Amino acid sequence: MPDPRKKIQHLISSLEELRLHIGRKDLAVGKQKVNAMLFFSLANACLRGRCVLLYGGIGANKTTLVNLLGSSFLSRTLDEVEDMMVTGHPEQTEEKIVGFLDPRQWTAAAATAGSTQVLWTNWAKSNWKLINEINRFPSGKQNLFLEILQKRKISYAGQVCKLGDTCYFATMNPELSATYPLDEALLDRISACVPATQPDFLAGLLLSEREREVRDLAGMLPRLTPQEFACLPEKVAERSLAGQVELAILSLIRDFTLCERAPAYDKTQLSGSKPSLGLCSGCHYHNNPEAICWQIDEGLSDRVRQDLRAFCRAFAYLLDRDADLPVLKAIAPYVIWHRVTSLRSVLERPPYYGVGKLAHVAMLVEKSINRTMNERAEMNLIFSRAVDGELAADQAIESLSTFDDPIARLDYIPTLEQIR
Amino acid sequence: MKLVRFMDAAYQGKASGRRLKTHQGDMIFSLEDLADQVGEKPTRAEVEQFVPQVKNQLELLVSTHPGKKYALLWGYLTSLAAECCTAPLLLPCRDYAGLELARGTIILQEAGDHVGERMKGGKILVQGKAGDYLGQKMEGGGIIAAGCRDYAFRNMHGGYGVVRGDAGKFAGLGNSGGRIAVLGSCSERAGWLMRAGSLYVRGDVGDYLGLLMSGGKILVKGKAAKRAGWRKKGGSIRAASYGPEAADDLPGLG
Repeated sequence: MPDPRKKIQHLISSLEELRLHIGRKDLAVGKQKVNAMLFFSLANACLRGRCVLLYGGIGANKTTLVNLLGSSFLSRTLDEVEDMMVTGHPEQTEEKIVGFLDPRQWTAAAATAGSTQVLWTNWAKSNWKLINEINRFPSGKQNLFLEILQKRKISYAGQVCKLGDTCYFATMNPELSATYPLDEALLDRISACVPATQPDFLAGLLLSEREREVRDLAGMLPRLTPQEFACLPEKVAERSLAGQVELAILSLIRDFTLCERAPAYDKTQLSGSKPSLGLCSGCHYHNNPEAICWQIDEGLSDRVRQDLRAFCRAFAYLLDRDADLPVLKAIAPYVIWHRVTSLRSVLERPPYYGVGKLAHVAMLVEKSINRTMNERAEMNLIFSRAVDGELAADQAIESLSTFDDPIARLDYIPTLEQIR
Repeated sequence: MKLVRFMDAAYQGKASGRRLKTHQGDMIFSLEDLADQVGEKPTRAEVEQFVPQVKNQLELLVSTHPGKKYALLWGYLTSLAAECCTAPLLLPCRDYAGLELARGTIILQEAGDHVGERMKGGKILVQGKAGDYLGQKMEGGGIIAAGCRDYAFRNMHGGYGVVRGDAGKFAGLGNSGGRIAVLGSCSERAGWLMRAGSLYVRGDVGDYLGLLMSGGKILVKGKAAKRAGWRKKGGSIRAASYGPEAADDLPGLG
C-alpha cells in the first residue's frame, strides 16, 4: 500500500486549488511555513484519541474544514459527515447526542429479547467526532464530553459503546452572549487549541473565485481508503523523537509546573493561592525574566507531555522531516496556551495588550527550550551521572546547589536527597 | 536506558557551562518601567542599557503616549527604534522625537517641540509644521520641515536644516556650525549671536538680523527689516535691501 502522506499532500493542494480552505501560513516549522488550523487538523486526523479545538470568530471556516477533512479521510460525502456532528445549544440532551433507549424492545414481540437495547446516534458510532460550538453547551452538559474524552467510551442506560480509535474535533467562538465558559478539566483534555482567523486580503480574493457550492467541490477532494486511514497512527508512530525533543519536553513541563511555594513544588496542587494572587511576592524567581514559574498560574499535567510527543510525531510525518526541536517549538504553544493563565500584569502590557496569550506562551516555550539546550546542559549531566551511580549523590547535590535554576533546586536536588 | 546516555544523546557532547541568569533586572514593558530603572531625565547611554533588545517591543514602547512626564525617555526610544529600523520610522506628533538620533530616518506628519534635539546623524522629515527648538544643539544629520516656530536650530554645531516655509523668531541663535536654509521668511533676530555656520533665507527677515554675531555667513534674498547687523563683531551679512538703522558696512546682493 502506498504511503497515504502523498494523498494528504494532494488533499492540501486540492483544498487550496478548489478554494475550499485558504489560510494564512501562520505556523513556522523551521523554514517551512504552513497554516496552523489546517495542519493541526490534519495531524489530529493522523492520530487517534486526541482532540483539537479550533477557536475563532464566526465564519472562519472551522466547521467546514473539519467536515471536509472528515469527508476525505473517511471517504464519505460531505452531507454524511455533517450529519455525524453534534452542535451545542442549551436544549441538547444526552439522548440527542449519544443515544436513546429503543422503544421497540418493550413491545410484546421483543419483550423477551433480554438486555436493554440502546440506539446509538451516528455521532456516537462514528470514529470522526466533531463537537461543534462546544461552548454553547451549558457547563453541566459539557461534563458529558469530559467523560467521553477521558474514558474513550460512552455509557448509557447500562450499555457501553466502545469508541475505539477516534479523532475528536471541537470548534468554539470567543465569548459571545449565548456561550458558556469551558471547564478547566475539559480544556486539559483538549490536546491542542488553534486560532482560526478570517481570511486575509489575498485569501479573500482567491476565495471569491469559488463559484460552485462547497458540497459540490467536496466531492472532488482526494479520498483515503479505510486501510490508508487506519494505518496513519502507525505511520506517525514510526517517526521517532530526537533525544533533544524528549529532554526539552520534560524540562518544559517542569518549567511550567514547579513552584517553590507550592505543596511538593507542584503548581497543580494550588487552589486558593496562585501567582496572580500574589503567591510569588518576594520569591527568588519573581520578576526574573528568565524564570517561567511566576508568569503562569497553572502547572501542566502529564497529558501535555503525551500530546506534545504525539503532535511532534504527527507534524514530522506530515512535513516529512525529523521530529526535532523546531517542530516542538512550533507546536508546543498551541498544546499549552489554552490550559494555562498568563499573569495578568505581564499579559496586559506591550507587546501582548491583554490579548496575546498565545504569543506570551510561545515566548515562554522558546525560553524554556533554549535554556534546556544551553544553560542547563551541565546541571543535567551532573544529575544524570548521579542517578546512574557514576557520581556520589552528596557531591552531585553540592554541585547542583550552585545552579540557580528551578529544576535543579526543586526537582533534581530533592530527588538526589531521596536516593543518597 | 541509562540517564547519562539519554543526556548525551540530547546534547550530543555539547554541554556548555552557562547558568540561569538571575537578577538580570525587571522586564521593561512600559515607559513607567523604564523610568523606574533610569529616572525621568536619563542620558542616552542609561536608556540604551535598559532598553529591551527585542525590536518589536521597542517599537511598541514608542507607540505608547509618554505625556510630559516621560517625554525625554520617549525621545531617546524613538531614536533607538529609528536606528534599528531599515525603513523610515513614522511617528506621531510629540515632543523630543529623534532626541540624539545617530542614524536612520524619522518621518513626522506634524512635530512638537525639541524635535531632533542634539541629533548626530540620520534624517528627520517633518511633513507639517514643527514647534519650538527644532534641531536645537544638533551636531550632524539633517532636518527638513515644512515650517517651524521659534528657536529653530539654536546652538547648532553641525548638520543641516531646511525649512520649506516660514521660520519663527530666533532662528540659528548662537550657532557655531552647520547650515540652515529657510525657503520662506524669518521673524526677528535670525542669526543672533551666530559664531560660525551659514544661514540662507529666500524671503524676508525681521528686525535685528545677525544681532551681535561674531562669525558665519547670512544671505537673505529678500528684505531685512530694521537694525540688521546691529553690534555685529564678525561674519558676513548680505541682503537684497536693509531697513533703517542697519550696520554701515553691510553689502547688498549687487
